This record gives sequence, C-alpha cells and structure tokens, in this order.
Amino acid sequence: MADSMQLTARRGRRRFRPRHPIAHLVLCLGAIFMVGPFLWQLSTSLQTFGESVSVPPTFLPHSPQWSNVTTVFSALPFGRELMNTTVMTIARTVGQVLFSSLAGFAFARMRFRGNAVLFAIFLSVTMVPYQVFLLPQYQIMQGLGLLNTLTALFLPGMFSAFGTFLMRQFFRQIPMEIEEAARIDGANILQIFWRIMLPMSAPGMIALGVLVIIWSWNDLLWPLVVNSDPRQMPVSAGLASLQGQYTTNFPVLMAGSLLASLPVIIVFIVFQRHLMSGIAFSGVKG
Amino acid sequence: MKRLLSLLLVPLLLAAAACSGSSESGGDSDEQVTLTYAIWDQAQAAAMKQIIQEFHAQHPNIDVQVQVTPWESYWTKLQTSVTAGSGPDVFWMTMVYAQYYAIGGGIAALDDQVKKSKLDTSVYVPAVTKAYTVDGKLYGIPKDVNGFGLCYNKKLFDAAGVKHPDASWKWTDVIAAAQKLTNKQKGVYGFVAPEADELSWYLTVPQVGGQVISPDGKRSGYDQDATIQGIQFWTDMITKYHVSPTLQQTTDTDPLAMLTSGKVAMRYCGSWEPEEIAAVPYGKANIGIAPLPAGPTGKREYYSNGLADSISAKTKHPEQAWQFLQFLGSEKAAEIQAKTGTVIPAYQGHADAYAKAMPEFDLQVFVDHLKYAQPFPASTDTSVWRDEVTKQFAEAWTGKAPVGDVSKSVAEMMNTALSKEKK
Repeated sequence: MADSMQLTARRGRRRFRPRHPIAHLVLCLGAIFMVGPFLWQLSTSLQTFGESVSVPPTFLPHSPQWSNVTTVFSALPFGRELMNTTVMTIARTVGQVLFSSLAGFAFARMRFRGNAVLFAIFLSVTMVPYQVFLLPQYQIMQGLGLLNTLTALFLPGMFSAFGTFLMRQFFRQIPMEIEEAARIDGANILQIFWRIMLPMSAPGMIALGVLVIIWSWNDLLWPLVVNSDPRQMPVSAGLASLQGQYTTNFPVLMAGSLLASLPVIIVFIVFQRHLMSGIAFSGVKG
Repeated sequence: MKRLLSLLLVPLLLAAAACSGSSESGGDSDEQVTLTYAIWDQAQAAAMKQIIQEFHAQHPNIDVQVQVTPWESYWTKLQTSVTAGSGPDVFWMTMVYAQYYAIGGGIAALDDQVKKSKLDTSVYVPAVTKAYTVDGKLYGIPKDVNGFGLCYNKKLFDAAGVKHPDASWKWTDVIAAAQKLTNKQKGVYGFVAPEADELSWYLTVPQVGGQVISPDGKRSGYDQDATIQGIQFWTDMITKYHVSPTLQQTTDTDPLAMLTSGKVAMRYCGSWEPEEIAAVPYGKANIGIAPLPAGPTGKREYYSNGLADSISAKTKHPEQAWQFLQFLGSEKAAEIQAKTGTVIPAYQGHADAYAKAMPEFDLQVFVDHLKYAQPFPASTDTSVWRDEVTKQFAEAWTGKAPVGDVSKSVAEMMNTALSKEKK
C-alpha cells in the first residue's frame, strides 16, 4: 500500500518535471515571441493616441482608454461588416471544401484521358500571383452585374486550385482496397465518394476549412476592389479604411483589429488539433 | 382615374421645372443621377461629405456617394475599375499618377468644359495647375497643395540656449543649431534626416537650383552637381556632423514621433502634420513652427505635391460630373476644406481658415511657403523610378557610398526608365 502510494507520488512528481529542459526553454521563448504581438496589440488598443506614438514606447497605458472600443463601433458599420465577413467566410469555406474535395477525388481516383495534364494545369494556377486574376475576376463580376453585392465578395473564392491539390493528396492516401470493397458491394462512384471517401478524409477537409476561414477572414484586396459601399464591405476592409493618408489613430485601429481577430482565434483554438494533423498528414505524401 | 393621375403629375412637373430653372447652367436634364466620388483619406471624408451636402442643395437632382479606399488599395482598385469601365465618376488624383492616367486615357481632358463654363483656372496655385496639364490639356481641377516648415522643440531650444529659428535661417543656421542641440548622453539629436524624398531632398534640391527631372520630363537631374549638393545636406547631417539619428533609426521609428517625444529638436514638416503633432500632449505644448530655412543663396523653391479632382474618361454622366467638379474647385469648397486644418486648398487666398484652424501653431508659415511651390517631379511612370531612387539612396544615407556616386548611378537608372516610357 505504502509502496504503491510512493509509486504514484513519484510518478506524479515525475510528470511535472520537464524531461527536456532545453526544449521547454526554447518552446517557452517561442511562445513569448508568438504571443508578444497580441499583448502589444491589446496594450496599444487601450492607450491614448499620444501614448501610442511616444518614443520610447509605452508598455502599459496610464489609464485604459475603453472609449477606443466604442469609437470603432461609431466610426464603422462594424456589426454589419462583421456579418458580411461571416457570410463571406462561411460561403467560401463550404464552397471550397465541397468543390475542392469533389475535384480532388476525381483527380485522385478517377482514370480519364489527360488526368495528369489537367492536374498539372491546375497546379500551375497556384503559381500565378493573385493580382493577375484581379482584373478578369472583376470584369466577370461586372458582367454578371454583381459589383457592390455580398455575392461578389465570396463567389470567386468558392473554389481553389490549392484546395483541390490538398484534397487530392488526402484521397490518394486512402487504401485502394476500401474503394474496391465498396465497389464489390455495388456502390457507384458518387456513393463511394459520399459514403466512404468523404468521412475518411475528415481531417483533410477540416484542415482546408480552417485555412480557408483564416484566409477569407483576412482577405482585403478583393473586397476593396470589387465593392465600394461600406455596408457591403467585410470587416477587414472597414479596418483598413481607419488608416488615414497621413494620420492613423493607432489605438482605435488596434481595438478594431483585436475585435475582428477574436473569432478567428477562437476557431483556431477549437480546431487546432485538426489543423496540425491536417498539415502533417498532407505533408507525408505531398 | 386618368384625371386624378394627371392632377398628381402637375406638382411633380412644376417641381421639376423649378429645379432645372434654379440650377446654374440649366442645360442638363432633370433626371436623378448618382455620381460616385472616390477618395483615399478617411480624415478628409467628413469635409468631403460637407462639400457634397452644399452641392446637393444647389443641384438636388445630383446625388454624390463618397467611396473611401485606403491609399495602398486605392490605385489597384482605380486601375481595375477604370479599365473595366465601371470606376467612380469623379476621383482624387495625385501628381505622381496624373500623366499615367491622362496618357492612358483614364481621365478626361477638361479644356472644353473649362472654356464653356468660363472657369478661371488662374485662381489655383500655378504649380498644381501646371502638374495636371499634360500635353497642353488640363486633366484635373486643383484641390489642395502642400507647404513645408521647420518644426522645432521650444523646450529643447531654451534648455540649450539656442535662439528660436526665424525667417532669416539658412542651411548653415540649421547645422549650427543642430550641433548645439545634439546631446548624445540624453539621447537627443538636433535634427532628423529621414530618407523620404518628399520630406527631405525634394525640399532642398530646388533651393540650390538642382532638379530631380528636367522640365520636359525626359531626363533625370540626379547627375547634376546642384542636385547632389541638395541631397548632401541630408546625408551630412548623419555621416559628417552626426546630429541626426541614423537611417536605421528613422526607419524603425517614425521621425514625427521622435519630434513629438522630444528625441529630436528639429524636423522639416509638411502642412498636413500639425494635426498629428497636436494630438500628442507633449507635441502640442512644446513644438513651434518656423519658416523652412532657405538655401545658401536665399532660394526657397521646393517641390510640392498637391491633389486634384479628375473625371473618369468613361463616366456615364459627364455633364453632372463636371458640375460637381466645378463645385469642388469653388471658393466654398476651398473654405470647407481649409477649416479642417488638414490641407491647404489650392484655391489661392483661401488659406486663412487653414491658418486659424489650430491657434497653438503658426500655420501661416505653411501658407506663406506656397508661393515657392514647384510641380512635383513626375513622368508617365513615376513610381517605376521613384521607388528605385529611394532604394538606392539608402547607400548614401548609411554612409556606405558617397552621395555623388550614388546619385550618378541613380540618374543612369532613371534615364533608362524614362526612355522606356510611353509618351
């Protein structure tokens, strides 16, 4: 009895002792570097303008300026913009996960003429800088009469070559035998995709989803170019408009940015395990 | 029923008739039109909206919507939307892009309208009008203009026992004062020499008769001795006299923040900056503004940027856009802008409201400076060489290479770029 007590105690103690002190030290330093900017942002968001531009920098505000937060709401249609961002993000995420997995499945598992060539063309799209697509995509939106609408925000972002690539890598990892077994049981190609492949590639879809969410939440250039009405803008564009040509009220900008990044941080914390495994998974074969 | 309808129509028709009767130029139809007006500075949005309100009161059939797009994305958006033909009807233009848009057919020449409406363009600061005149045609109605002055820290001047700067100051006075004010133990520099063309050598090169670009816009002036002298004023402050923070320091920390934190005693300031200085309590209490020191021979010329309002070449409502543009160039609009204390209107003689906007500073200094304004150095593709010039001069600012050598290689690069331009 005493022995076992001692054993658990020892085991318990051992659990708290870092096995690799140097590794932990490095990780702690890394963590400080990573969290630092956020703390700095939080501190700046509560400073006065004078404190925010002082040299040497102010670390802690003399008295927290909560009014910066309310200024954000009065300077921008913040609630509306937050909703636009949410709609845009959801539509793009659902679209990309659905379409990219369909296309990725086709590339990974269906044999057709020119499969490899077509995939190579797809991949080459990921090498073209985004700015090149800007004008043609704008003209397409104009042709569809969608300028200055919520639809224009998310429509071109509902599909991506990168997503197709990512999903293809996932599907290729699933053993052929499973698909063959399903085929013997009489499943057609869509059933195989929907019942067998999709559930098995959940980590990949989640990884893609999180990546799209983060990209979409931060996307600035496209919304700024395609829409003009502040009420049809996402929150990223709203925040950018807080920057003046000469003077920028940094505390208000930081307060707004903090508010705008909270949802993404929450999504990341909730899904971070999947995000990591997704990247590791696709990395093996990619 | 029909009678009832026609009865209802009568007051409508009367109202329409009244409207077209009261509008100044008459001519245009009474259809309701919405113009879009693109700008990039949030700080000026309120003043622009006020101008639009006044305009709308005179022209009830024209609505104007303001689009604010931050500077970095403004030009991407403008280029995309103007190319596609659905851009804003009226928008802000800078001297840097004026020739690019004029030659590329993005903005409309205004000469016919100016003649028809008998608009007097001599009321605007000549340097601005000149900058928006491309191949003899006017492509924008001048909106505002920049003046410059010497911002200095009164407290540091008094502590070091140095006489406050005044209108008699020349380069040598600045250097002498900077040497006395520099106190390395306290981490205080007498002067700050940032590497920012508009706020540094564009102010001193014309003071010694140098030029950045030849008046016909075909050749670089960076290989001229006078130009090099104007640039050397800045690098000497760092590498010879050691009275200014280094390039590394001015890149890491905004030089204006150094001024408002008491880390540098003097800085060349633009007319848009007092607002920011006043927002910092220390700056509001201790910063004074003196006339920009003259060149060694007393020359005071400088390169000034200034904005204009232009009409899209593809606007669907050229008539209405012109009416709005005329109002933007009017005395009334100039006054509204001036009151904000952010910009000096290009409409001459209406800077009083600007000068009085912040009584704690002597803003008149900036207004008085305007008569020396020269058009901002620009060609069709200004940004191609301008960014590269700044990149290359870093070598001179850090003292790695003599200014003369860098400047000559800059001139070569710029001449190559200019020869490739579409004229």
